[in-house]
Amino acid sequence: MNNRTYKGLRLFIVVFLFVSVVFPLISLLLNIEFADFGKVLSSPQFSDMMFNSIVATGASTIISVTIAFILAWCVNRSNIKFKAILAVLFTLPMLIPSISHGMGLVLLLGSNGLLTNLLGINIELYGFTGIILGSILYSFPVAFLMLTDIFKYEDYTTYEAAQVLGLTKKQQFTTITLPNMRKTMISVIFAVFTMIFTDYGVPLVVGGTVMTLPVYMYREVIGLLNFSTGAIIGLVLLIPAFVAFIIDLKAEENGNTSTITKGYIITKNKARDVFSSIYCIVVLVIISLPILAFALLSVVKQYPIDMSFSLENIAQAFDLGVGMYLQNSLAISLVTALVGLCTIYFTAYINARSKKTFTNGMIHLISMLSLAVPGVVLGLCYVLFFKGTFIYGTLAIIVLVNTIHFFASPYLLAYNSLSKFNKNMEDISETMGISKMRMLLDVYVPCTRETIIEIFSYLFVNAMVTISAVSFLANFKNMPIALMIPQFDSQSLIEATAFISLLILFVNITVKLAIYLLKRHIAKQEV
Amino acid sequence: MEILKDDIKLSVRGLYKKYDGKDVLNRISFDVKQGEFLSVLGPSGCGKTTLLRILIGLETQTDGEILIDGKDVSKLKPNERGMGIIFQNYALFPNMTVFENVEYALKLNKELKFQSKAIAERTLEQIGMMEHKDKKPNQLSGGQQQRVAIARTLALNPKVILLDEPISALDVTNREIMKKELKDIQKKFNSTMIFITHEQEEAFYLADRIMVMSEGNIEQLDTPKNIYDNPANKYVEDFVLAHLDQKLESLLKCTGKIAHE
Ligand SMILES: Nc1ncnc2c1ncn2[C@@H]1O[C@H](COP(=O)(O)OP(=O)(O)OP(=O)(O)O)[C@@H](O)[C@H]1O
Ligand SMILES: [Mg+2]
Repeated sequence: MNNRTYKGLRLFIVVFLFVSVVFPLISLLLNIEFADFGKVLSSPQFSDMMFNSIVATGASTIISVTIAFILAWCVNRSNIKFKAILAVLFTLPMLIPSISHGMGLVLLLGSNGLLTNLLGINIELYGFTGIILGSILYSFPVAFLMLTDIFKYEDYTTYEAAQVLGLTKKQQFTTITLPNMRKTMISVIFAVFTMIFTDYGVPLVVGGTVMTLPVYMYREVIGLLNFSTGAIIGLVLLIPAFVAFIIDLKAEENGNTSTITKGYIITKNKARDVFSSIYCIVVLVIISLPILAFALLSVVKQYPIDMSFSLENIAQAFDLGVGMYLQNSLAISLVTALVGLCTIYFTAYINARSKKTFTNGMIHLISMLSLAVPGVVLGLCYVLFFKGTFIYGTLAIIVLVNTIHFFASPYLLAYNSLSKFNKNMEDISETMGISKMRMLLDVYVPCTRETIIEIFSYLFVNAMVTISAVSFLANFKNMPIALMIPQFDSQSLIEATAFISLLILFVNITVKLAIYLLKRHIAKQEV
Repeated sequence: MEILKDDIKLSVRGLYKKYDGKDVLNRISFDVKQGEFLSVLGPSGCGKTTLLRILIGLETQTDGEILIDGKDVSKLKPNERGMGIIFQNYALFPNMTVFENVEYALKLNKELKFQSKAIAERTLEQIGMMEHKDKKPNQLSGGQQQRVAIARTLALNPKVILLDEPISALDVTNREIMKKELKDIQKKFNSTMIFITHEQEEAFYLADRIMVMSEGNIEQLDTPKNIYDNPANKYVEDFVLAHLDQKLESLLKCTGKIAHE
């Protein structure tokens, strides 16, 4: 193996990124008819949808980040029990599709919902209420994970200094904690906002008459094949993600100065611990309610008329092809995880361990660009660019779109862990006649096994739950199982959607568990 | 004269390097003899690292040539020049044991792969690291890691070994130990070494000859004694001698005090 292999693969990556990112994005722009531009943007319908989207997203973002912030604080800054398990449980909602959160609300709070009947309450779910509630459920775990990072990686020595200076807890919070968090907070807010702003899953099932931009785009493209209008809306959806992208790039340039010298020391405080425990329990109950609803609906005869145990619904779901689509999804997720892992890891290797050339800089930028392209927009780009090619309508295009859709985060993960190695490593290998590919396989891969496993799991789970980028590309043959939810919902097969959500959750938990065991096994080996 | 010429291992002719329009090396020329320990001494930024990187081929010179055993190696790849390099930060392979670190490049070498095990063992033995052979780099002290890095380079039997401030990262005690050890190793293997440093005492302690550099120029190239006795110019006097004298003075003061009490 010599450096020709490396150079060949590098060239392949460049071509790959152009074909799968740059060209599809360009074809989005080329497909806009300028006459439509003014027509779409100036219609009263558009300003209504824009208003709906911004109000719903804004409100959801504020509430979601607040809930997540308090939750991260409770888990990281108190002495409650079972912290590690709690932290995992709070991310469970990330293992089901966004649309499942909407369905969960329907099952619980809809006109015939479990809680509606049980408590005799009557919430007008459909509309802003539903969208906001669903979006919160869908997004707060992501915010929780990001915020946990700041709490974890705070340097305690600054707090010690503050104590010496006699600052009160409240003063410490406003002078140290908040400023420390500003940068991450901005990232979190943008990430959550973008996530909700571009999601069609939740508003599709609980939006009622409140039409948001992604739902409109979804209907225009899927129902009416109106690509030009779809592309214009897509362009609008790009805006917040793009702004976030630019801000993040700027932040990255400034470099992260994370030199922790001392972890946070948690003092004794009974009141705080009691509050934290109650808060965590409440959140946990709210998370588990929809899951319990899915489980219940899957195994009763006919809700709410006949609540006796029955596997009829499950059998019916399999009759409707759930088995085949589950197989599809497993294949898609597995191949996405493997193909994505190899491409992403190698791309990160190019940039982390070679000289900063123009080409490498470009590869880096394109790799990060996927952060700025929402799933639905990427999906539409793919329709426009790949329609009519041999790959269109196959499992391969689903794998491809997933790989690109989820490229940036694992790329950064790999990039960061590969950047940590000694900067003279390549000088040494070059002078000793060790090729770049050998270094990759013999040194870097074994040293970054944890990162590799992490990337695999991230890609698998996301490919399993995604409904955005794949929505326009799936047909009856290559459809992933998550897309059966909107389909069954439109046919009022509520029980089947519940079962599918449960099934996806089950697969993802199994994978996560396997990954956890694998990691523990590796950690044990290393001792 | 003929015999003397044979004795020359490395020959640098008119080496010139320009970075972004700035001259970093100003057409310097010098020779290094077989088995010689040459120290390159100069302040930060004077081009020492650049010189080493060009010698081994990690950077390309703007002009000039590099001869080893009379043969121009300027166009060869770094691994074809018969040189080895050792850095301040060791750059060991973190996932491999001490033994694997030394053996790895040998195993990939077409000619050496059949003896890789024996060579690795012998080298570790000679460097006194055999008892640690199954440890990972993160289980070793800085000095031990540097020994492994040296063994890894020696195992490939390079004609010239380049060292870029190899002991600056160590604490004072270990630095003293490694300094002695480096000299022993050099004698034992009869290696030709070029050793970069910005520490005057280090250069004077280790070197057969010292090359004093300033901003891409060679100010003087001679034995420590000759440099001390006859500094070529004001620069050498200020940078080398003044510093050494200062050190000496403070040493004398200390010992004088002790003697007094
Ligand atoms: N890749 C590069 N691009 C541009 N300029 C460079 C590059 N590498 C080195 N230089 C410049 O060349 C000069 C010499 O650098 P070099 O690293 O050789 O110095 P040095 O003598 O090894 O210094 P130190 O003792 O600090 O290691 C410096 O002015 C440096 O800024
Ligand atoms: Mg240097």
